[in-house]
Amino acid sequence: MAQPYRGEVTGYTAGAGAAASGDGLLEKRQSDWYGGWNPVVGEHPGKRVFLRGGCGVKLVGKDIAYRYPNAAADLFEGLDFCIRGPGFHALFGPSGVGKSTLARLISGMLPTRRGALAAQGMQRVLYTYNLERLPGWVSLRRHFEETASDTGRSRLNTLLEIFDIQTLVEARFPRLSLGQQNRANLVRYLLQEFDLLVMDESLANVDEATRQRIILRMKALFPERCFLYISHNVAEVARFCGEVLVLRGRSKQPQIVTIPGGDHCEGAEPDPARLERAMLAIVHAA
Amino acid sequence: MLHRRITQFFILYLAGVGLLLLFKIALRLSDYVIPGPAEILRTAHVYGTAYAAAVLNTLGVAVLGHVLSIFLAAAVAVIARLKDWVGGFIRTAAFNIQSYPIVAVAPILFILLGDGLVTRLLIAALICYFPLLLSFLGIFSEPVREIEHFYEATGRMTWRLQIKIRALENLQKLNTVVVGSATLAMVGTIVAEFIAATAGIGYRIRIALYQSDLAKILVALLLIGIGTSLWLVLLERLGIALQRKLEGP
Repeated sequence: MAQPYRGEVTGYTAGAGAAASGDGLLEKRQSDWYGGWNPVVGEHPGKRVFLRGGCGVKLVGKDIAYRYPNAAADLFEGLDFCIRGPGFHALFGPSGVGKSTLARLISGMLPTRRGALAAQGMQRVLYTYNLERLPGWVSLRRHFEETASDTGRSRLNTLLEIFDIQTLVEARFPRLSLGQQNRANLVRYLLQEFDLLVMDESLANVDEATRQRIILRMKALFPERCFLYISHNVAEVARFCGEVLVLRGRSKQPQIVTIPGGDHCEGAEPDPARLERAMLAIVHAA
Repeated sequence: MLHRRITQFFILYLAGVGLLLLFKIALRLSDYVIPGPAEILRTAHVYGTAYAAAVLNTLGVAVLGHVLSIFLAAAVAVIARLKDWVGGFIRTAAFNIQSYPIVAVAPILFILLGDGLVTRLLIAALICYFPLLLSFLGIFSEPVREIEHFYEATGRMTWRLQIKIRALENLQKLNTVVVGSATLAMVGTIVAEFIAATAGIGYRIRIALYQSDLAKILVALLLIGIGTSLWLVLLERLGIALQRKLEGP
């Protein structure tokens, strides 16, 4: 039931054909950065573009600009990024740099002022944040059962076990602690159908050990899905995420850089050297 | 809750009567202007039952008018929460009309409908309708983003669900507004009875006024206070019971 991007649907053109089309849509190509894949993007303020054909699952932002109403300056200017799926990736950056705004742009909740987002195989993008609440008039179990997708319903018990809330399902949401509330909120999103789930500090107020266990089990349970995890914990994003998109202030160019993370998975031994490299690179980039 | 409200009312009532008696003594006013305690008690004994029945009659009309207003205001607020021109028109009209003293149009209703139940009911409903509408408008137009986001994002939001979320999340506010407007309904009914009725405590007060019988008016005020307090306490208890039921175990 996840909502697809609302907006113009455009065909996907690969290779030099796009550049030679002369329709003014293609401003520049970064074939190397996108791995030889050329999205048709350009001046599409507020548009979401679906791309058909090609291979892999990607969401590409190209020359994105965004300014809040009545703001003096753009928050983003010429922002380029690529989220490759499936995988568990992170959006990292200092407070106030625009992580949540970028997440809302990616999920279609805000229109871009300039530039375009091109999605390939990522039509169903969901955004969840840590301040969300479940309705207080029904128990957690009833809410999960009422809102789960057909396929999601079958994994309810597994998710309850992973998130350690089996004993709380008959309780009402306001009765839970903040950490329990955030876990319950994330469970209901994982019961939906999605290609990309943007998790904006969704595991805030959850203790570190539980958070790590949840991330590892999520990665194992949803290997075909894409996650974008927003967190301020550099060690966590460096260890568990495949790619870490580091968002920086407008004074730094490019405003977003991608750092390869440790991508630690369940059952595998963490690579301390790789983790250290990733952490240093992230801290340096931020 | 009932005990506290009734006690508060009695304190205020006795203070008011005490002040009147102080005036009587200080200014050496006759019993014709301000009756003494014995005369008030005698009037209460003689007219108490008839006045209590009149208060119940008024309360019945006020409750009916109040309930009518609640349903009407809720229905209009549901439409007016829409972002289109219909919603905008209703919101503007409601804000403009509510600034007008509705009680001033009561004589028009009296001319058109004559005296009787319908006129009393309409005036009672009109007086509490606009404050209710404005409050409902505010509550139903204000998104509860932390809850609604999930339903919007997953394409499950319906207008019924939206209203349910906003109403239940603001249940305490709604309860306060409904209890507050109940007093207005009572005021509206009594005002209607002053000008257009053949029954009710307002009608009795009007007769007492023509007779310059302050004792009767004081007895009527005592019974109005008790009746209104009982109705308000009942409404508050209903609101609390509903909230507890929703909060669950």
